[in-house]
Amino acid sequence: MFLESIKIMFLGMGTVYLFLTIMIYMTKLMSKLILRYFPEAPKDFHASIPKVPAQPTNENAKIAAILGALQHHHQIEKEGK
Amino acid sequence: MKRLVFSLLMLMNISFSSMASEPVTTVSDTALQSAIVETETPKKSTYREETYQAMSFNEMMVNFYHTTGISALIEPKKGVLTSHGEPMSDFHQTWGRLIMFLVTFVLFYLAIAKGFEPLLLLPIAFGGLLANVPIANMAGPDGFLGIIYEMGIANGLFPLLIFMGVGAMTDFGPLLANPRLALLGGAAQFGIFGTLVGAYALSEFTTIFDFTLQQSAAISIIGGADGPTSIFIASTLAPELLGAIAVASYSYMALVPIIQPPIMRALTTTEERKIRMRTLRHVTKLEKLLFPILVLMLIVFILPDAAPLVGAFALGNFFKETGVVDRLSDTMQHALINIVTIFLGLAVGSKLAADQFLVVDTLAILGLGLLAFSVGTAAGVLMAKLMNVFSDDKINPLIGSAGVSAVPMAARVSQKEGMKDDPTNMLLMHAMGPNVAGVIGSAVAAGVMIALFK
Repeated sequence: MFLESIKIMFLGMGTVYLFLTIMIYMTKLMSKLILRYFPEAPKDFHASIPKVPAQPTNENAKIAAILGALQHHHQIEKEGK
Repeated sequence: MKRLVFSLLMLMNISFSSMASEPVTTVSDTALQSAIVETETPKKSTYREETYQAMSFNEMMVNFYHTTGISALIEPKKGVLTSHGEPMSDFHQTWGRLIMFLVTFVLFYLAIAKGFEPLLLLPIAFGGLLANVPIANMAGPDGFLGIIYEMGIANGLFPLLIFMGVGAMTDFGPLLANPRLALLGGAAQFGIFGTLVGAYALSEFTTIFDFTLQQSAAISIIGGADGPTSIFIASTLAPELLGAIAVASYSYMALVPIIQPPIMRALTTTEERKIRMRTLRHVTKLEKLLFPILVLMLIVFILPDAAPLVGAFALGNFFKETGVVDRLSDTMQHALINIVTIFLGLAVGSKLAADQFLVVDTLAILGLGLLAFSVGTAAGVLMAKLMNVFSDDKINPLIGSAGVSAVPMAARVSQKEGMKDDPTNMLLMHAMGPNVAGVIGSAVAAGVMIALFK
């Protein structure tokens, strides 16, 4: 009966390796096919353009607000003196 | 102790009965009255007599004392049954329960203070605590732990639901970017089959313990470092060992950062540990989407017995990668897996009842589990070295240990060990490949076991 366990070991490891080897080759094949026939569209830069100017204007508005507040602050300080 | 409690009770009884002695003299009148009432409504009174018999306060106290845990823990009774319906030994009724209380407290400590897999260890430990409560019999077929056990462990449901959630959390990207690393995940399964031979040899040629081939198989699956798979196999092949196997499996998963590094360092040179691996390529969405289906189809053709495990895993992963059922995949990743984890933990904990856990077999299982785990780690590292002999694209052998499927702990250990020799060497993503391949590998190994023994 001890031999039985050794047989199971070979069968088990054999199956695991057989499975993984097939999986590796099938995966490589799949990736090759997908990359050749269905490549991911390169990033659409035009799509992201409209978003770009939105942020700077937002930033500009913030900076303007900060500058305004600073000036106001300076004026108050001057008047106080 | 026993005498003391008893004499205390007797003392209380005497004082109470002396207080009650006076009204007793007037009983004859009231007895006559009640006799008349009885003749008028005989049905009601016989019903009363059956359900509750009048007794003296003395008797009442003694009876009550016999229902306390103190009595149950001090004086073992005959006819107390285990959750399997067999008579329980005196030791398991008394000291056994107390020892198991301490064991669960140690598990609480490990989970809370040391952070060892608290999500699982805490429910398991609390389930164990409840299972050892005398008289309440919560782990029995009518107790709530027993019901949860029957509901999801005895039929193998909970491990599959967990696998679904794990699938939904897994990213196969690193494996798809470098598929040959899957071989490392296969090597680690040698821990399972090597230990199977070891366990069976020890039962065959020595008298230390006596495991059947099925039991040896269930124990050796611990080497896969995959809790749900271990439970799935144990509930099929050796339900009587489930508690010890589950506890061993989850403890070793928690102990990955302690068990693995010495083995990894012993088998590698500093030069090898410094190997830098090529950056992984970008993997497209379509590849990730089709991979779970590919794996499932291979299982369909080669080993349908592993289909429940791989199927649940592929389902979770596919749902996640489609991107159109985020609500469902989100449920699998969080709500569902959390609920099942609570149930699974409690049900496994119910197997920590003293009569099942405090047996010699448990020690053997803990020992063999550790062996299986170490062999798996070593096999992964050695396989990486072997692959380096045949290939120019060198692999850092430290990621070989991640072939045991404890995701993502094993991969983190590889990263940490690599950084000890070269702090800028990023191995984590490379290690995730063998790590997820290990999950598939141990599911396949489990499928082989089921196919052979069912």
